[in-house]
Amino acid sequence: MLSTKFSPMSKEEVDRKWWEIGDFFRRNSLWMLMYCTGCCAIELPPAMTSAYDMERLGMGPMATPRQADVLLVTGYLSLKTLRRLIYTYEQMSEPKYIVGFGSCTINGGIYHDSHAVINQLNKYVPVDVFVAGCMPNTEAVMNGFVDLMDLIKNKKANGWKDYHERYDWYLANQKAALGEVRVHDEFHE
Amino acid sequence: MTNSMSNIEFTTDLVESKFSVLSTEVVDKYQVSFEVKKEDVHSLLSLLKSSGWIQLSYLSAVDWPLDNEFEVVYIVFNWDKAVHIQIRTRVDRETPSINSILPIFPGCKYYEREAHEFFGIKFPGNPDHEKQLILEEWDDLPPLRKDFDPRAYSDKKFSKMEYKNDFVNTNGEVSKQDARTKRYDDIDKLRTGGKK
Amino acid sequence: MIDILLMILTGIGVAFFGFVLQTSIAGVNRKVVARVQKRYGPKWYQEFLDIFKLLSKRSVTHGWIFDFGVIMALGVIIGTAMFMPLTSSFMAFDGYDNFFIFVYLIAVGMLGMAMSASGSGNPLASIGVMRALTTMLAYEVPFMIVVLTIIKLTGTSSLSEIGLFQQVAGNSWFLIALPIGGIVAVMALMGMLGKKPFETYIAPAEIASGPMVEYGGKQLGMLFIMHEITVFIEVSLFVHLFLGGAENIVLFIVKYFVVYTILNIISSVYGRFKIDQVVLFFYKWPLIMAITQAFIAIYLGWVI
Ligand code: SF4
Repeated sequence: MLSTKFSPMSKEEVDRKWWEIGDFFRRNSLWMLMYCTGCCAIELPPAMTSAYDMERLGMGPMATPRQADVLLVTGYLSLKTLRRLIYTYEQMSEPKYIVGFGSCTINGGIYHDSHAVINQLNKYVPVDVFVAGCMPNTEAVMNGFVDLMDLIKNKKANGWKDYHERYDWYLANQKAALGEVRVHDEFHE
Repeated sequence: MTNSMSNIEFTTDLVESKFSVLSTEVVDKYQVSFEVKKEDVHSLLSLLKSSGWIQLSYLSAVDWPLDNEFEVVYIVFNWDKAVHIQIRTRVDRETPSINSILPIFPGCKYYEREAHEFFGIKFPGNPDHEKQLILEEWDDLPPLRKDFDPRAYSDKKFSKMEYKNDFVNTNGEVSKQDARTKRYDDIDKLRTGGKK
Repeated sequence: MIDILLMILTGIGVAFFGFVLQTSIAGVNRKVVARVQKRYGPKWYQEFLDIFKLLSKRSVTHGWIFDFGVIMALGVIIGTAMFMPLTSSFMAFDGYDNFFIFVYLIAVGMLGMAMSASGSGNPLASIGVMRALTTMLAYEVPFMIVVLTIIKLTGTSSLSEIGLFQQVAGNSWFLIALPIGGIVAVMALMGMLGKKPFETYIAPAEIASGPMVEYGGKQLGMLFIMHEITVFIEVSLFVHLFLGGAENIVLFIVKYFVVYTILNIISSVYGRFKIDQVVLFFYKWPLIMAITQAFIAIYLGWVI
């Protein structure tokens, strides 16, 4: 027989329960920051407008990194862009997720031998979901977003925690590719 | 005779009467290209600017490693006569340098920075032609030179994805790649009559 | 003592009711706008999800002015909403539902937000705040003229009494009795709510959502709550001043929903003005119309 006596939950358990409630809200209202670096970005307008309407999943575009939850990296990233991308990613408020689009972010795609374009995005920032294809079609893009929601539900979208824990590793990779992560140009001095 | 043809003729007359042009090429009825000596570029550009070619559309370079020369190309455009003019000139490849055209076309500032970044050509007269513009913190040969190997650089600098196992077609069907190779071989055989 | 406590509790209840009402109606309206654009649209409770999601995130601060301004704005706006009469007879603080209370208290809330936005140190935020204040200057003048006409006609500035006046006068709403003024008020209301043609100070593609540019997480959540309650106050003002108040709460909700939905539908087919166009627009036609209306109503006495 089950005991009906009230037994207080431990602190971890309470925290976990709160986190699960938060996860419910977070996965149903993902706000995106679109970092349209490459040609894959052209798949976003059909996903947003009446053909596939991602607003029914609670997703919407946002104007600044601070307000956004998901960073969409759509396509190849040159070194100059990667520097700004790291800035942008670090400005977002936690919990934050990254979705990488296209084979360019996975293994370099057709730019695998270019002098200016990085090959693997998840060496430099933690990526939660990849959408493969060059370019991925819109169903695949929507499917990627649903996958991200599932990952959040199953507590597997832990890229941002990983970035805290293994920051040294990420920083070493960033340094190897970029030399220095800080931006030095006319607008930042 | 159409109006644009006379435009081209007007242009060739204008340039060839005052300068020694090494070669002239009429690309189409809106575009003409002159190759001149390095010393003539500045006076030619100022002449063109005063006769209506007021817009510098582009400035870039072409690498000719066999001749050991760079070809610097200036493209100017006229808003009244609809003719693009390319001014080409050769500079030495070992110590590439040509005076900046900043006094004539102030807009050349960024083009010259770009050309310096990608080819290593120096532009004395432009105070910040050596500042970085597109490639930040570049640490190798200028990348658009023909002797720069982008693949080697990419392999050295960016880690590649490593695949643990080969993903092959396991349904027992012939893979498309194999079928294609076989088809090409057959075609070759037909063409050469079975000889290699 | 108990009385006052009860009043305050009722007031907080009114503010909470306003928040829930406006947030659900805003959610429904997102669906309406989606249908205008041939989309399916989000769930009707999407706005709640958004707000609670923001509150569940971690956030960064840019100094104590940044945080304090947000809290001040939210507090003042909740305080303002406490005075709002829901029907013509039900309100938390009887006799304190003067029109000018709302005008002044809302301005204080806006100032709190302006303070916090400039505390973030982002230039786009300062531009946004400046534009918000400019827009406020623009729509306030014609709107005030129309409202002063109403106050002159009714002889009172209490919202519930203006509502009662219209009900007693044989259901002739001021929107119908003063048709030109009614149009002016609708335009001014769109400016107040920051709806599309007058959306200049948010302008996501231009100045990256203006005053909100540096907010994220909990502060943005509080700003969203503040925004919902502000919209509640402004639309309720319109309902009481121009649509004859409400005899009971159902009527209030219906009128509120109709006003807000129509505004949204209008706004969903417009583009965005530039800031100078907003100011010129409000100082031209609405101002002329408002003055004409005041002249007709007060000196000629032509009220339908
Ligand atoms: S994956 Fe293909 S479509 Fe996408 S950015 Fe790369 S090249 Fe363009």
